[in-house]
Amino acid sequence: MTAEPEQRIEPVPWEEWDRPRDQWLMAEHNCNTWPRSLLLEVCARIVFPTVLMVSVYLLLAGHHDAGGGFSGGLVAGLAFVLRYVAGGSAELAATVRIRPPVVIGSGLSIAVITALVPALSGQPVLSSAIWKLTLPVLGELKITTNLFLDIGVYLLIVGVVIDLLRTVGAGTELGGPGLDDETLEREEVERT
Amino acid sequence: MLTAIAAHFVLAAFLPLIARRWGRAAFVVGALVPAATLVFALSHAGSALAERHPAESFAWAPAIGLEFTTRFDELALLMIVLVSGIGALVLCYYACYAKPGDRAVGRDSSLLVLFAGSMLGLVLADDVISLYIFWELTTVCSFLLVGGDGLTKKLRKSATQALLVTSLGGLAMLLGLILLATAAGTTRISEILANPPGGGVVTAAVLLILLGAFTKSAQVPFHPWLPGAMVAPTPVSAYLHAAAMVKAGVYLVARFAPGFSDLPAWWVPIVVLGLWTMVLGGFRALRQHDLKTLLAYGTISQLGFLMVLVGAGTWIAALADVTLVLAHGLFKSALFLTVGIIDKRTGTRDIRELSGLGARWPPLTVFATLAVLSMAGFPPLLGFVGKEAAIEGLLHGQPKDLLLLAGVVLGSVFTVAYSLRFLVGAFGTRPTVAPTEAPPSGTVMTTIVGIPAVTGLVLAFVPGLVEPLLAGYADAYSANPPDYHLGLWHGFTMPLLLSIAIIVAGYLLHRTALAPRLAGWVPGPLHAQRGYQAGVDGLVALAQSVTGRLQAGSLPIYLGVILVTMVAVPGAGLLSGIETPVDLRAWDSLLQVPLAALVLVAAGTVVLARRRLTAVLLTGVVGYGIGALFIVDGGADLALAQFLVESLTLVVFVFVIRRFPPRFVDDRPYFRRARWVKATLAAVAGTFVAVLAVLFSGSREGMPEASRFYIENAEDATGATNVVNAIIVDFRAFDTIGEIAVLAVAATGAASLILARARRRPPGGYASEEAVAERAEVKQ
Amino acid sequence: MTVNLTMAVVLAGLYAVGFYLLMQRSLMRVILGIVILGHGANLFLQVAGGPPGEPVFAGTALIEAMVDPLPQALALTAIVITFALTTFLLALAYRSWALLGHDEVQDDVEDRRIREAERRREGMDESDEPDAEAAEAVAGFEAPEASEEVPR
Repeated sequence: MTAEPEQRIEPVPWEEWDRPRDQWLMAEHNCNTWPRSLLLEVCARIVFPTVLMVSVYLLLAGHHDAGGGFSGGLVAGLAFVLRYVAGGSAELAATVRIRPPVVIGSGLSIAVITALVPALSGQPVLSSAIWKLTLPVLGELKITTNLFLDIGVYLLIVGVVIDLLRTVGAGTELGGPGLDDETLEREEVERT
Repeated sequence: MLTAIAAHFVLAAFLPLIARRWGRAAFVVGALVPAATLVFALSHAGSALAERHPAESFAWAPAIGLEFTTRFDELALLMIVLVSGIGALVLCYYACYAKPGDRAVGRDSSLLVLFAGSMLGLVLADDVISLYIFWELTTVCSFLLVGGDGLTKKLRKSATQALLVTSLGGLAMLLGLILLATAAGTTRISEILANPPGGGVVTAAVLLILLGAFTKSAQVPFHPWLPGAMVAPTPVSAYLHAAAMVKAGVYLVARFAPGFSDLPAWWVPIVVLGLWTMVLGGFRALRQHDLKTLLAYGTISQLGFLMVLVGAGTWIAALADVTLVLAHGLFKSALFLTVGIIDKRTGTRDIRELSGLGARWPPLTVFATLAVLSMAGFPPLLGFVGKEAAIEGLLHGQPKDLLLLAGVVLGSVFTVAYSLRFLVGAFGTRPTVAPTEAPPSGTVMTTIVGIPAVTGLVLAFVPGLVEPLLAGYADAYSANPPDYHLGLWHGFTMPLLLSIAIIVAGYLLHRTALAPRLAGWVPGPLHAQRGYQAGVDGLVALAQSVTGRLQAGSLPIYLGVILVTMVAVPGAGLLSGIETPVDLRAWDSLLQVPLAALVLVAAGTVVLARRRLTAVLLTGVVGYGIGALFIVDGGADLALAQFLVESLTLVVFVFVIRRFPPRFVDDRPYFRRARWVKATLAAVAGTFVAVLAVLFSGSREGMPEASRFYIENAEDATGATNVVNAIIVDFRAFDTIGEIAVLAVAATGAASLILARARRRPPGGYASEEAVAERAEVKQ
Repeated sequence: MTVNLTMAVVLAGLYAVGFYLLMQRSLMRVILGIVILGHGANLFLQVAGGPPGEPVFAGTALIEAMVDPLPQALALTAIVITFALTTFLLALAYRSWALLGHDEVQDDVEDRRIREAERRREGMDESDEPDAEAAEAVAGFEAPEASEEVPR
């Protein structure tokens, strides 16, 4: 969130020294469409990084255990859903700085590039290779090229979910809280 | 030869541009390619005649074994002479015939050259699929040329009729050709004819092929399209509807006849309909006042004659047939072009308005007379030579041939009569009508008429020029041909006697006023045109009634029809071959039973739910239940994805339904019991799917080959022990890429659907927002 | 091989409910029908893919004891695609709601017109032959007495 315009009009440096760079919780001026629950919002914030870590774990573990790009991406997406449900579109905007279509596009690009790279060295499209590295502390590490395809899938799914939150979620939350059907209908009639 | 065909198509593509720049000269440019083809074909005639029959091949769909093969043999050469030779003449003629600055020049020249190329491909094609493609191309060209600019109802009607009738036959022919090719095991015509297959399928195939030939060659009862097509410009009629396209049917029959001439299903229809057509065409031609329509009925009659001769299936009859194909092409195109000149110079084609043209245009009269006499079978012209051979061939055949001879003689009498009617009508002097005012007939056009007319005269004296060609085709019918040669004089023989009798009878028929009075009379129900009209009307009515009933506009009805079809058609087939599964058990794991009950109850309640949120939540329960069933099945990945997706789906559903009224809008059933009908239908379809699943799983025998391969190679090939994941990201990664592309598209689509709504707000809303922003800026 | 009756009953139920909902006029119900049909299809793949077994992790069990991985991979793809399709349809329903004020599936106007025309035609057939004159006029070029069209 950017600073308030009033502060920019009258910059008094010492007043801002101990000011947090970011607002950790939304102030009441953010217009939410439904009543806020502080407890839910805080819990969502605490859980959020953990869920993202779980999703990355699922992504990487997919080769040997249940998981994979699809599941990982869906879990990460659910993390964002949690934030949106707790705090509405403003909360979502605070969480995601990149435009969702960019995430979708980059995921698709990574997947397609992974598919096409083998063609450069004369191999059939989508053929995969396995590299084995021995790292000092961690021991042997096995990387397969199809992991990149999985990463592409992961990014794309995350992008799709965030995009849905932006459109189906935030895009449809017109009107204030507590509107009953008659008002909504009247509003629709007036609009169309 | 492939190059020649391609050259036609390429030139046709450029002719509209040429016409835009040089106008009528485009026709002359267009004539170059057919002329070059003719020269090329004649210079290579030796190879066609020497039994070498050079073939060329071009594989255009090698994966399914489709190739375009040409075979250059005697019959092909003969047809090329007609197609390319007369094509070039007609194109040159059209250059003079068209009015300067006519906007149709580009279109017509292009279509004519396209047609010439298609016809060339048709007569050269040696495989049935290419034959069909070129066949239909000629049909389309004919439609476009007859329809012209399509400004009048008559043009449209005639063009549509020509298209419908000939393409109906074309489709039947395609079916027949495919049946024949399947029975023979090859699509090459030369191979099919070398070893003609037999059996019931071949009989059906042959009949279907004949249907194609009859429609194209305007045989009874399909003939009315040909007189109708006379609304086309005269050069087009001369080329398509006299010399080339209508010959395609005769060509097709002649092409296949050597292989099937003994089959009754082959020769009986040909002979019966051919004779009928010959007599009817001649009979109807006697009453026409319009010179062009008269010629059209004459063409129908002659085509019937040609069909009869191919159907007779003897060596001499075949020789006579190809001789007459050549003769007919020459004289009929000359006559049509003559009519074109008359029409252009005097503005009418009506016999009753023309008078004294013979004295005005002596050269044209001489040429037209030559052509007419050839048509009537007067010596010393090629038509006479052919007719002599025809009578000779029918005289010395089987008993049925004598019956044919009687019909042919009758038809020929009519031919003589309408030939005279044409000649006298066009060039004679009528005492009651003032001599027609007309400018000179035009040197170039008259010369072009003269070329085919004089050729018919010259060839009659030196038949040896073409006899090797014609006899080469006839040799396909008989291993040891009889000693017969084409010629004007065979001595005082039966054929000569008959010829004289025909000419005398025809003259008498022409002189008596009886024939014209009688000739128009045909009983109403026998009008072929009415049959066509009834057929088309019936088809339209049927289409409307089917559409009106099945496509009622209501989505539930559409889906119901689809479901009924699904259950009825594949379901009936499935039940007919059903086998009771080997090992039927109630459950695989006891856990499945409560889960199944949960899923079923939840699904059943969704139907009954009146509130949206209830229905959505119950659907979620179904989804979680399915996920649990996946776990029981051993699909860990699957269950994980199912749970996650189900949660997300629920959330998205809730996002949307918060804007909807809480209860479903009540359905208004269009009829009372609709709900029960739907429920029954759904239950039947659901049961059908379950039976299907039981059968699938019953016919499964252990782990399939592919899955076994995936499991065994997952670790080595992909470095993953999770086989499902290995399949998704490696073995079947292409699917995955496609799938994520679908996801991206769906998300984008949803975004545009929802965000577009914001743009629908009245402009006032936007304006006020902008105003607020502006005010804020001003404040700063 | 073996056939599981319970699963067959579940399939029948899911498909029947799906088809029934699909034939409703409320777009929301139609979407729910599609979701349930999607569940049914995924289950179908599993049922057709054989009886339950060990999860497919290479090297953890005998191949014979494992379930078939291919239907699972297909179903996994299908699940995600169904989700994408559902969201798109929901957006569609929302749009229909925003534009029309309801989410009912309307009848197609053109198709209705054809049906009306068909009904009219049937009514007319009983009274007289409307096309008789037209047929007569077309039959004209069987024997055209007058001059044909002036050529172009």
